[in-house]
Amino acid sequence: MTSLAARMLRHRPGSSVATLLALALGALILTAMGVLVESGLRYHPEPVRYAAADLVVARTDTTFTGKEFDGEIYRSTVALPEGGTVPAALAGRIRDLPGVSVVGTDENIPVVSTAGVPLSGRGWGSAALTPAVLEAGAAPDRDDEVALGGVRLGSRVDLVVGGVLRSYTVSGSVSGDAVFFTDAQAAALAPHRGEVSAIGVIAAPGADLDDLRNRIAGLAGEARVLTRDDSGLAEQSTDRAAAVLLIQVGASFGGYVVLLVIFVVAATVGLSVRHRRRDLALVRAVAATPGQVRRMIVAESALISVIAGVLGVPGGLAAAHWLTAELTGRGFLPAGFPMVPGALAGPAAFLIVLVSAVLAGLLAARRISRIKPAEALGEAAAEPAGGGKARFIGGLIALAAAGSAALAAVAATGQTAMGAALGMLYLFVLAVSLLAPWINRSAARLLATPLRAVFGTSGYLAAANLRANARGTATVLTSLVLAVGFGGSVWFLQNNIERQAVAENHSGLLASRALVAPAGLSDSAVAALRAVPGVRAATPIRHTTVLAALMGDGESVAARAVDPAGLASTVDLSVKSGSLAALRDGTVAISRTQASMFRWDLGEKVEMRLGDGTAIHPLVVAIYQRGLGFGDVILPLATVVGHTATNLDDEILISASASADAGLREVAAAHPGSTLVDTATLTGGLARDLALSAWLNRMLIAVMVGYTVVAAANTMVMAALARRRELALLRLTGVTRRQVRRMVNAEQIGLLGTAVVLGGAIAALTLSSVVRALTGNLVPYVPPLGLVAVLGGTTVLALATTILPIARLLRVPPVEHIGIKE
Amino acid sequence: MMVHHEPAVRVEGLTRIYPADGEPVRALAGVDAVFTRGTFTAVMGPSGSGKSTLLQAAAGLDRPTSGSVWIGGTELSRLSETKLTELRRGRIGFVFQAFNLIGALTVEENILLPLRLSGTRPDRAWLSQVIERVGLSDRLRHRPSALSGGQQQRVAIARALASRPEVIFCDEPTGALDTNTAADVLALLRAVVDEHGQTVVMVTHDPVAASYADRVIVLADGRIVHDMPQPGADRIAEHLAALGHRRAVTGEGAVR
Repeated sequence: MTSLAARMLRHRPGSSVATLLALALGALILTAMGVLVESGLRYHPEPVRYAAADLVVARTDTTFTGKEFDGEIYRSTVALPEGGTVPAALAGRIRDLPGVSVVGTDENIPVVSTAGVPLSGRGWGSAALTPAVLEAGAAPDRDDEVALGGVRLGSRVDLVVGGVLRSYTVSGSVSGDAVFFTDAQAAALAPHRGEVSAIGVIAAPGADLDDLRNRIAGLAGEARVLTRDDSGLAEQSTDRAAAVLLIQVGASFGGYVVLLVIFVVAATVGLSVRHRRRDLALVRAVAATPGQVRRMIVAESALISVIAGVLGVPGGLAAAHWLTAELTGRGFLPAGFPMVPGALAGPAAFLIVLVSAVLAGLLAARRISRIKPAEALGEAAAEPAGGGKARFIGGLIALAAAGSAALAAVAATGQTAMGAALGMLYLFVLAVSLLAPWINRSAARLLATPLRAVFGTSGYLAAANLRANARGTATVLTSLVLAVGFGGSVWFLQNNIERQAVAENHSGLLASRALVAPAGLSDSAVAALRAVPGVRAATPIRHTTVLAALMGDGESVAARAVDPAGLASTVDLSVKSGSLAALRDGTVAISRTQASMFRWDLGEKVEMRLGDGTAIHPLVVAIYQRGLGFGDVILPLATVVGHTATNLDDEILISASASADAGLREVAAAHPGSTLVDTATLTGGLARDLALSAWLNRMLIAVMVGYTVVAAANTMVMAALARRRELALLRLTGVTRRQVRRMVNAEQIGLLGTAVVLGGAIAALTLSSVVRALTGNLVPYVPPLGLVAVLGGTTVLALATTILPIARLLRVPPVEHIGIKE
Repeated sequence: MMVHHEPAVRVEGLTRIYPADGEPVRALAGVDAVFTRGTFTAVMGPSGSGKSTLLQAAAGLDRPTSGSVWIGGTELSRLSETKLTELRRGRIGFVFQAFNLIGALTVEENILLPLRLSGTRPDRAWLSQVIERVGLSDRLRHRPSALSGGQQQRVAIARALASRPEVIFCDEPTGALDTNTAADVLALLRAVVDEHGQTVVMVTHDPVAASYADRVIVLADGRIVHDMPQPGADRIAEHLAALGHRRAVTGEGAVR
């Protein structure tokens, strides 16, 4: 059967070019996404800082347990966003164990040079864990001595440590970006009291490492004891976060694209089967069993997918290369992040494309059972006009499902909202594709009069064609609706989220000034600001992340920690219920989105974990509206002190009269690395950050929209070229070339109108339900230029992809197409 | 010429009703017929008389509403679609009016297609005899698009003969051909019957084509109205003309 399928393909490549293109592009996109996922999954940090340690005790992640429906317990492990800590006292107990040679505690002390370069502050006791640290000079001995690289020995150096300017003498020169203090100084400066970020152990020569590891594990409690293979996990690195991002982005978009590929390929394979109805009926009549013809179609699809894979996968690898460069350039990926060449991603994409094609083939082959061999006897390959009852019922079910999804539109943030929107969209498009024959027939009936009025005889013919060919044009309608629906919703969703976040931030900021410092601000800055005459309130804010269980999985939630004192005069969160006045240690305020997504209520004690894994059970005292602008969880500062990586404030909002500016500037000057800005600048910064982080979403959405557009163009060109015989017949019966052209235009306008109305309605419904869930606005924001682009683009697409191929057909004398000869 | 007396095809009480929006259309209203081995039968009748439906039902391409069809000793109504296909490719040959061939395959491949699909090894000696007989020895590597209409029909006849079927059904095999080419193709069908004892059932509306047959069956309104030994093209034409006239008269009567 395969060789017959291959012969059929070679003879009529046109019918499969559309499928080939769709599959090859799919393979390309999937390979690129696969490389991202594979790189993320295969990422394994090599120890650098702890390379000399045999064992490292650290808390790197936290585990959530949930129950499956069948009662089975499953665990989800989440990396700690702020990095975990272990008790410093543990070091002493480990030191007492037999077989231990050296124990070093390590700290991450936030240090910034006066030039603004971030450095990693450590105690000298941890230097033993890193090989060959000291290059010249000696270890720091007194509290005002440090060892660091790139500075002359014996000279004085000013460093901003923990947000405070301090002066040290350089005692030694070390490699890397570390600054070593004496252990006593390090303990005093450390962000965590009584806790350290890791404890490294070097075993005595000849000691049994496994045994030692078990003994330490017995002491360590929740912390993990890592061997050399895994100790890289204990090092704070941007690479680890990047690996998680790669997996998330690649897997979610890859998933949507797989659905899209199946959708599009099912349509093109179905269309090519429809166009070869007579051939297939003949094969059925003379010799082939239905099973043989089905196998032939499946073999044909599989064959096309293999060619598509061969074309698409290398393209995808190249695209992944380009994407990596872009991601690195935009700061999503740290430079030098180890990207894999795609040894697994390529074959996986190949396999997915093959399976989708075979599925599409099987789906199309189902139709073949309905092709009667007797059709081979007929002169014209007429097809039944109506769809089956099962199709109609299936369409209604899909419509109902889409409707309820829209009604129940779960509130979610960024990425998840996109998922909800896409799910709804797919259901709607599925409903349209199933109901298309009926939609087309009703539309044809409705449009008959206006088409005849505008186009005359051509319009009359067009309406008749639309009605008679309601089933054949189902694919064209579906692909147009898909393009309009996709372009009109997911693309604009991003605009809405960004716009809303900026708007909320802008209207929620009551403060007029802000002191910001990328390296962090200490308590002294807040105190100094509050002492400036004319300052009504100063609110220190920390940006952090908390973890909470959602259906058993640990979800990261953007949170801010604030000092509740004077909060009312710096920030307006638009509280819907409860009051921020009640915010104190042991309480929390949450956004409406958060409340509905996690089903948390006012007055409820909720369970969450801070960024370092500490579990807290605060009482919900307020639910507010402006979650997009200020994060979904607001904690009192007291709750997070000692539980963030730097233990410093990110910004301080200041409500003050204009006369206080001079005083404020003095405070800024006293805290190197900090800047006094307008709160408008703060919002502008947010907008810039959002635009940057949205770049990836935008790019991937653009790829998906582009894919649907190519698919729609494909389908329409294919459908147009298949009308050769019909158009020749019309011309032979006396319809002029001009009339044929006008007829095709009229048909296309009828289809386009239907598609724009349906696609527009679907896009509007999807967009408004998701936007409503996110922002509370019923009417989504649609940029006028975007609207013009979607509508104009679809029109150009629909006309160009039909009118050009038809014009080509019309250049050939009609007799050549009408012949009895094959 | 060998004459066999056992039937190649037998139909009994064949009825076919097509569901329609208004009144169901009765295409065949109880047809009984026997087609003896080694005979050439022409099935004639005006448009809508049910001749194509009879052919499709007898050839197992369509399932009758009631009645039965035997190909040799096999009754078709109980066969599954797959079994029916297997029977068609082994024991029935087809020649349609046009679009008989798969454009993707060469002449030879088209001829071998049913054998290939059934997985039977072709009988080379028989095949070369068939190809020789239809006069296509030098066109085996060509595509159907390079052949004339008459040549295409010859390929179809060769394909039908390749599996040595019980019977060959032809649906207007010369409908799309000019007179000379048509005569050529009909002579070939006649020769197949005379030389190889093949059974041929051919639907046609052309009295000249029917004159190549041994026997002519005329259908009207889903029933057999004439079943006669082939009386010559002129007599056939007269019969048909009379039939057309009668129909016109009764038709008018029905309106009044």
